Amino acid sequence: MAEVRLQNVEKAFGNLTVIPDMTLTVPDGSFTVLVGPSGCGKSTLLRIISGLEMPTKGEVLIGGQDVTLEEPSDRGISMVFQSYALYPHMTVAQNIDFGLRLAKTPAEERERRVAEAARILALEDFLDRKPAQLSGGQRQRVAIGRSIVRQPGVFLFDEPLSNLDAALRTQMRVELAQLHQSLDATMIYVTHDQVEAMTLADQIVVMNKGRIEQVGAPMDLYDHPETEFVAGFIGSPRMNLLPGSAIGREDVNTVGVRPEHIRADTADGDWPATAQVVETLGADTILYAKAERIGDVTVRLPGHMRLSAGEPLFLTPDPDYLHLFDEGGRRVNAA
Amino acid sequence: MATAETRRLTAPDRLRRSLSNGRVSAALILLPPALILFTLFVMLPLGESVWYSFFSWNGYGTPTDYVGLENYQRIAGHSVFHTAVGNTLKIVAISILLQMPLALLLALLIYRKTPTNAVFRLIFFVPYILAEVAAGLIWSFVFDGNYGVTASIAQSLGTESFFILADRDWAFVAVMTVIVWKYFGFHMMIYIAALQSVPEDLIEAARIEGAKRRQIVRYVQIPHIKPAIIVSAFFAIIGALQVFDIIIPLTNGGPSNQTHTIVTYLYTFGLTRLNIGFGSAVGVILFIAAITVAVFYQRFFMQRGQA
Repeated sequence: MAEVRLQNVEKAFGNLTVIPDMTLTVPDGSFTVLVGPSGCGKSTLLRIISGLEMPTKGEVLIGGQDVTLEEPSDRGISMVFQSYALYPHMTVAQNIDFGLRLAKTPAEERERRVAEAARILALEDFLDRKPAQLSGGQRQRVAIGRSIVRQPGVFLFDEPLSNLDAALRTQMRVELAQLHQSLDATMIYVTHDQVEAMTLADQIVVMNKGRIEQVGAPMDLYDHPETEFVAGFIGSPRMNLLPGSAIGREDVNTVGVRPEHIRADTADGDWPATAQVVETLGADTILYAKAERIGDVTVRLPGHMRLSAGEPLFLTPDPDYLHLFDEGGRRVNAA
Repeated sequence: MATAETRRLTAPDRLRRSLSNGRVSAALILLPPALILFTLFVMLPLGESVWYSFFSWNGYGTPTDYVGLENYQRIAGHSVFHTAVGNTLKIVAISILLQMPLALLLALLIYRKTPTNAVFRLIFFVPYILAEVAAGLIWSFVFDGNYGVTASIAQSLGTESFFILADRDWAFVAVMTVIVWKYFGFHMMIYIAALQSVPEDLIEAARIEGAKRRQIVRYVQIPHIKPAIIVSAFFAIIGALQVFDIIIPLTNGGPSNQTHTIVTYLYTFGLTRLNIGFGSAVGVILFIAAITVAVFYQRFFMQRGQA
């Protein structure tokens, strides 16, 4: 049982309050992703859970135990850092083994666990190498291996894929998902990449300015964003957030409509517009258009549309998929 | 096949390339000043020293009294030279066994960037900034059994005053104390700079893995700053071979020539007694010792340390 609970956690650095008051439950065995823009406090929150930072107020509970004052090593957690944090003077095997050695685990048991981690992460051929002799993806695997051997209840990941190239990132994402399935441990993952959040998470926590904007399953957040911020943050290309008054909805402040919920037609439609930029991605075409009296609108069109910049066209939003927000940016109701 | 016709780069090709990309001209412009200065102020005096060391010469006129290796024989048989070499080795030992660990300990305590640590860093670094002669003079007052701090302590304890710098057995201990005090700040600064370059992530990762403070120092920080430790040890050894201007104001090599180092020995028995030939021979021995240490150290520690 390794549920993680934050109870009214507050964190301030001097006069700067990074996390004002946060209560959050990360269910046992879940893959929870903390996502938000840079500086929103997600890494700080992870560091509070890990014990590397002390909260200014509030409690951290792991598996029902109050660990607020416990050392990081006594919390039953492990952490994978953005920089991998591998010891450069140690070999891969020594890096993976380090925590076990400190814990005075018997040599046989250590060897067994290191071999098992190396097998899971396909590192058997690199155990005698130093980190400098490894590629980015291999280093990342070593960092994960170091976490696995300690058999923690909770894995913490601080933007672990951000230093990898796009192809490797996709591959590692799949590997992490598989790892979660096979280990069945609680994983808390910090990222600012919403694709990672959408693909990996059972539960996404969207943070903004130290507060939780919304917690939910990826598709819940996508289909029913509770705030304008979540609406704009989750989804790529991002949701069009248009002024209500400009599209005849004076009753609300902002109307959100996802790019795939707008139809483009050269003959007829609701909003006359002009194509600005057309990105052909193969399966989709992303159209950036300027609509009269409304402004910039992004449209995702299925397949390969033959459009060129400057071409006049008409845009029509699907009325079933409008997201309405009041002046405070809160969701009004699903249209 | 295309490979058969592939052009191989020949030596003239490479030369032309070097000439055209400016490397050769850069070397031709930048090398002479350093080379001329090095030749004028290092190689020529060194050659002259070797030459003079074969003469009995007081420094006036042209050396004519060729004595072959006699100067070297005299040095080899001189008990004060043996003491001086022993003292130099003692300084090397004390630098490595006491000064460097002390510097590392203090560096570990104050390497983090805080205002309090900055104050301590300055305090510990002040001795190094002081001129050696000034430091020697200050400590000669401290050790003065009549008016110095030692005198006050003896007085307050009600014991007889102790003239440590005049004591054959203890004078060099006092000298080594001053040397440690004078130079530990330098080594501390090297370690502080190195410790600050240890990524915080590594320390945090070790904390998460259950490493206590001592284990973090042993398994993470010290291995990470090993190249800096190797360089600092090199400075300590070479510095020990050069100790001179602390000893002159403190003991002037006394009592009974017990506190000489190789350089003060050279100065006292070579220069002040106008035995320039003899002094030159000591200088040549010192040079060979320094070069040997430097080459061996470079070969066995520095390359491996940097790897």
